[in-house]
Amino acid sequence: MALLEITGLAKQFGPVVALDGVSLTVEAGEVHCLLGENGAGKSTLCNLIFGVHRPDAGAMAFAGRPFAPAGPADALRLGIAMVHQHFSLVPNMTVAENLMLGRADAVLRLGDALAGLERLAGEYGLRVDPHRVIEDLSVGERQRVEIIKCLLGNPRLLVLDEPTAVLQHEEIDALLGICRRLAENGKAVILVTHKLAEIAKVAARTTVLRQGRVVETVSMAGADMRALVRSMVGRDVKSADAVLAATIGIEGDGGAAGTAPAAGKPVNGRASPAQDTRVPALTIEGLTYRDADGVARLDAVSLVVKPGEIVGVAGVEGNGQTELGSILAGLTGPTSGSIAIGGKALAGATPREITAAGAGIVPEDRHAVAMVPDLSIAENLFLGMLSRFSRFGLLDRGRMSASAAELMREFDVRAPGPDLPMSSLSGGNQQKAVLARELSLPNMVFLLAAQPTRGLDVGAVEAVYGRIRSARERGLGVLLISSELDELIAVSDRIVVMYRGKVVGQMTSDPANKEAIGAMMSGHGHV
Amino acid sequence: MGRTVGSKLGPLRAYLPLQIVVPVLATVAAIAVGLVIIASTGTPLEDALSAFWDGMAGDIFNIGASINRAISLGLVGLGFIFANRANLTNVGGEGQMAVGGMFATAMALHGAAGLPFGLAYLVPLAVGALAGAVWGGFAGVLKARRDTNEVISTLLLTFIALPLVYWSVQSFNLLRKPMSDVSSLPESPEIPDTTKLPLLLPEDQTSPLHVGLPLAILAVIVVALILQKSAFGLKLRAVGLNSIAARRAGIRSGSLIIVALAVSGALGGLAGAIMILGQQYYLTSSFSSGYGFDGLVVGLLSRGSAVGVVVGALLFGFLRSGSINMEISAHVPAAVVLICQGLIVIAIAASAILIDRRARR
Repeated sequence: MALLEITGLAKQFGPVVALDGVSLTVEAGEVHCLLGENGAGKSTLCNLIFGVHRPDAGAMAFAGRPFAPAGPADALRLGIAMVHQHFSLVPNMTVAENLMLGRADAVLRLGDALAGLERLAGEYGLRVDPHRVIEDLSVGERQRVEIIKCLLGNPRLLVLDEPTAVLQHEEIDALLGICRRLAENGKAVILVTHKLAEIAKVAARTTVLRQGRVVETVSMAGADMRALVRSMVGRDVKSADAVLAATIGIEGDGGAAGTAPAAGKPVNGRASPAQDTRVPALTIEGLTYRDADGVARLDAVSLVVKPGEIVGVAGVEGNGQTELGSILAGLTGPTSGSIAIGGKALAGATPREITAAGAGIVPEDRHAVAMVPDLSIAENLFLGMLSRFSRFGLLDRGRMSASAAELMREFDVRAPGPDLPMSSLSGGNQQKAVLARELSLPNMVFLLAAQPTRGLDVGAVEAVYGRIRSARERGLGVLLISSELDELIAVSDRIVVMYRGKVVGQMTSDPANKEAIGAMMSGHGHV
Repeated sequence: MGRTVGSKLGPLRAYLPLQIVVPVLATVAAIAVGLVIIASTGTPLEDALSAFWDGMAGDIFNIGASINRAISLGLVGLGFIFANRANLTNVGGEGQMAVGGMFATAMALHGAAGLPFGLAYLVPLAVGALAGAVWGGFAGVLKARRDTNEVISTLLLTFIALPLVYWSVQSFNLLRKPMSDVSSLPESPEIPDTTKLPLLLPEDQTSPLHVGLPLAILAVIVVALILQKSAFGLKLRAVGLNSIAARRAGIRSGSLIIVALAVSGALGGLAGAIMILGQQYYLTSSFSSGYGFDGLVVGLLSRGSAVGVVVGALLFGFLRSGSINMEISAHVPAAVVLICQGLIVIAIAASAILIDRRARR
């Protein structure tokens, strides 16, 4: 008998049909993967299982009994735990304090939490300092705390909504190990992901969702990966594309991985830098940033991005990339050093001045920095240029919506209309909207894309990198910060590696350099 | 994710009447409880009720007086929702009224009386609004530059403003009227007739309704336009919802915060100036007598809508008139009326929560 049995589940949000007659079973002792594009309904399905939302139709049974959770508390009581795409930690409390939250006992036992933490660290290799404050942790570390929090409750079914999107390679492997071990212990795991390599490593079965419906559920023994991609996207994808291969985590077709990205590349810096007399899109010299405790998060960073090239910034998360992105966005002032965009000195400039200098910024944290989720899509698109739509201070909303609809069509932002709140869009469409805004600025010379594909799935990743490449074709210099090394190698012309706030090396984006880059990322082997 | 979509596109037509019906029922229920309390104090109910009705709307004079009260309450409430659009909570309406009234009095007594074309009263009103703007804007500067919580700063600035007014009517060097054998109270002299707000219905002289009414209506329209239709209103909302994203989008959130609190304070200052120039005619130390705080409640209950402020201000204006008369002629303690007022606030707030919950389903 299946541990979790779902029959005919349907859910609608306003005009958006999120799920439409979804049925599937999850057995005890299996890792069941959910695969699907953005907006396919994966997160909604997880949220229904965890009791965050209630289904409009259909039924669920857990351990043989009808299961209709009124809220997450019901699900937790029965032994269902969930790690959400977005964190549910209290930022100004320590790790240990967060772990003690939501426990049923009236007395907080720090010792128990620490012991549990120690046990999990030993058992699964999930290590984190219990006394650090959450807001000081990197995104990857916060994700780790979330997972630990779930595992402390000893769940029977663990639901993981895109957990690997923010993790490093070793951490992903560790997490997949945890999934396997949980399954071996007779527990069930639902894993939402779009990385086929991960699915191949852990899944017993995979269910593919598209537009709220189940396309197929396949057993992974002897499954055809390309067939899975096809069912997920609903069409044949350009199979030779190295970026796509990197995104979904499968090996590209040997030769294609090397040649495909090079095909459309302009001759860039690495050929003969001395001949290039154009004004660089971005010049950073001796950029240093010390945080409130005086720790150098950025240490004399210098780099140049020329027009028409994509420079990738590789590095394990928490080595200064976040600070670099924040300074380039104008949200943090550097301690010292200089920044010039298109030849214009901009160290310590306001976001407004940076935008005016022709820099598009796609920030790392989409929800906190890139958009106002409660405002409409149109409002988000034009928040920085409202004067274009106002007369005597009054907004012409009709004209604004029309322009927004046009921009959404151009950038393929899929939504029922420009006046819906930004929060109603899937992550991929939100990111496309952010790109639409940042790439339609006047007189552009530079684009910063910080972790632009985090949490997005194949279709959206393809679209995002398509935009970034066409920005390069337009002659923009692009600085691409990402913790996905495979994607960096596939997209960038040149890669700089950051380690502990310093640029420790620079390499061409030849796939053969992958190991050397990996070594530099972990602090070994300066080249 | 779809929750906001649902509530926005929900069955608006079924939702709107509920939004009106439930608070009205809640208010009636609260008044009923109040009547029970009044009955239990031993006052005959019909005496209390008729005194209450007389005070509210018994004759043309009382109606005018009620509306005049509503004007000041409404202006403070408007100021509250204006700042609140940027997620700023201005609880200092009382203090902003106090400085507004004080500076308007000073202007009326010293300099404005001889001005032509209604400037004799318009200039003191503007000066009062400016004083309120400075008072509110100062809290904005503290917030923008030093990230001082505006709830605390506006409240503490109130505790500075009220003694300032007291001082100004205590000191003969400031606004206190010269000592004479008939009066030695600490208050300002009466302002010159030219600086008093003209009555709206001058021919019959029975209604105290003054030109503050059209001014307040104008303020409601302007504030509603700014909040709903203007680019500035959208920027306020963006800063209130996500100040980092707003900053990244190029909005100068610091100056926006200062302007928001300054405008909020200006509306409070205008309310104070209108109270002096429109009905009291001289400054006393406690002339604002809680109107600032009642106005804050009006703003809170309106849930960010200018129309809501109008409704709330009228409700509280009429209630206040009724309760004053009930105390004078039926000897019902004012405390009972204050209790009723508190019950109404709770009832309306609770019904709002109820409606929200239903809309979310």
